[in-house]
Amino acid sequence: MQRLISRPEFGPLVLLIVELVVFQSINSQFLSVLNISNTLAFSVELGLVALGMTLLMTSGEFDLSVGSVFGLSPVIMWSLFNSGALPLEAAFVAGLLIAALIGFVNGWFVIRLKIPSFLVTLGMLLIARGTALFITDGFPQRTWDASGQWLAKTLVGDFYVGPFRIYMSLFWFILAAVILGYVLTQTKFGNWVQASGGNPNAAQARGVNVGRTKIILFVLSAVLSAFAGIISSIRTSAANPNSGTGYELEVIAMVVIGGTALTGGRGTIIGTVIGIFILRIMRNGIVMVGVPGLAYNIFIGAIILGMMALHSGLERRHQSGN
Amino acid sequence: MAEELVLMDNVSRYYGRVRALDGVTFRVFKNEIVGLLGDNGAGKSTLIKVLSGAVRATGGDIYIRGEKVDMRSTADAIANGIETIYQDSALVTQLSIARNLFLGREPIKGPGFFSKMDQAKMEEVATALLKRVGISKNIPVTTPIGSLSGGERQAVAIARAMHFHSDLIILDEPTNNLGVAETQGVLRFVRNARDTGHSCIFIAHNIHHVFEVVDRIVVMRQGKVVADDIDPKKTTVRHVEEVITGMSESELRSAVAH
Repeated sequence: MQRLISRPEFGPLVLLIVELVVFQSINSQFLSVLNISNTLAFSVELGLVALGMTLLMTSGEFDLSVGSVFGLSPVIMWSLFNSGALPLEAAFVAGLLIAALIGFVNGWFVIRLKIPSFLVTLGMLLIARGTALFITDGFPQRTWDASGQWLAKTLVGDFYVGPFRIYMSLFWFILAAVILGYVLTQTKFGNWVQASGGNPNAAQARGVNVGRTKIILFVLSAVLSAFAGIISSIRTSAANPNSGTGYELEVIAMVVIGGTALTGGRGTIIGTVIGIFILRIMRNGIVMVGVPGLAYNIFIGAIILGMMALHSGLERRHQSGN
Repeated sequence: MAEELVLMDNVSRYYGRVRALDGVTFRVFKNEIVGLLGDNGAGKSTLIKVLSGAVRATGGDIYIRGEKVDMRSTADAIANGIETIYQDSALVTQLSIARNLFLGREPIKGPGFFSKMDQAKMEEVATALLKRVGISKNIPVTTPIGSLSGGERQAVAIARAMHFHSDLIILDEPTNNLGVAETQGVLRFVRNARDTGHSCIFIAHNIHHVFEVVDRIVVMRQGKVVADDIDPKKTTVRHVEEVITGMSESELRSAVAH
């Protein structure tokens, strides 16, 4: 029991359960089939971005350009497809490759030029968003032309399991969470990710290629953001160049609330999954219980501060060996 | 005469116009603990950085077991059996003992870049290693390094060097900030390493700790080796202090008084 309580995921899990109980007790429709289906559909798109960010933050870096890549990649994909330049599949790959290139450039600047990731990805945030707006003149790209295509069905097709409407994106999210959770906790690459964030000098001295590890994670973070953006664009039938604005901070909040250390060295995919649902359920729940939606940020800020205080206390106990 | 493990022959290192190492010749023989002493700025750290591959020599040659080597990176040093243990940067505090021991050389199950670590094997070997290095307390190897004391951390770093068959273990200030009992523990781990076939370079500001554990003392001053064969059993701390500072006993007394 003591071991369970000391895990970084325990606090967020308790908060999630409290949230569910409070919202359900105030509004009995909160755990309705329709609301659960809708919450799942929205949550997993941001969740994919948060999963990539978890590994990157565990390695001691973070990426502020994820929201812009979330907007840019679908814009590029659909611009190429709608203009007839590329078939849908090739345009999809092009969207992901552009994201991979952005991730690589982020990583290269951080590692080779030793510029803090805050500054590099802030610059990239503006470049990617500006490119999306420039390409489209600020107008959304239509995506409904692809609604019958296999790729669109594979990415976001929906079906019913009993009364629940399930989107395919949920399976992509679960798949990504399982794979990344496995990588982080079970593989040598995961060990390098944690070491790169915890003590990069020690990792380097042991022969771990810290730079390459971090560049891979920057690429992963950008590609997952692009993938999530493309899924979102198909679901909403539009690739909006402003899509994903502000997501970077919400994603970072999800990751740290889940128990990943902002300073690197410790990360948890399970915690991030819990963090994703804490924030998305909060957003959904406060509206359903009648709190003005504009008050959302007050609750999020309070949760972040509360969780940080909890994690800080656990960390001190951890360091003192209790 | 014992077999020569390391020979740094006429090695120099410049930082711009500053001569940090000035034609240094330094030897380590098999199965010995060498105490490397010198005041701040004497060149100890630079010498160790060159030997551990952290910085490149500007001039001179390095021989390991009689063969000339080009020490371009820490990986080259590790490949040549040289392990450097810096007090604060040797381990990752968030990772467990077992994961730290195998960091960079994790045993794996199955092929591929994202290969699964063989955690059972890591934990089994780590448990045996902790016993071998002489940690008497029963510490689970899944314990994060952050929960260990300074002395236990040194023991884990030494255990790692021993396990990966490092012929030479360089310990940079291993007893810094440690209590008396912890220091004795670390000195015991170092003797244990020598007795099981490893050579050590022991750098410490506390000369008394050096006297307790080393077989030979080398003293550096202003980028040069000024004494390389001081037997701690046949000399005094006061004499070594004179060699380190280049002052006579009366000059030393006068400097301390002021």
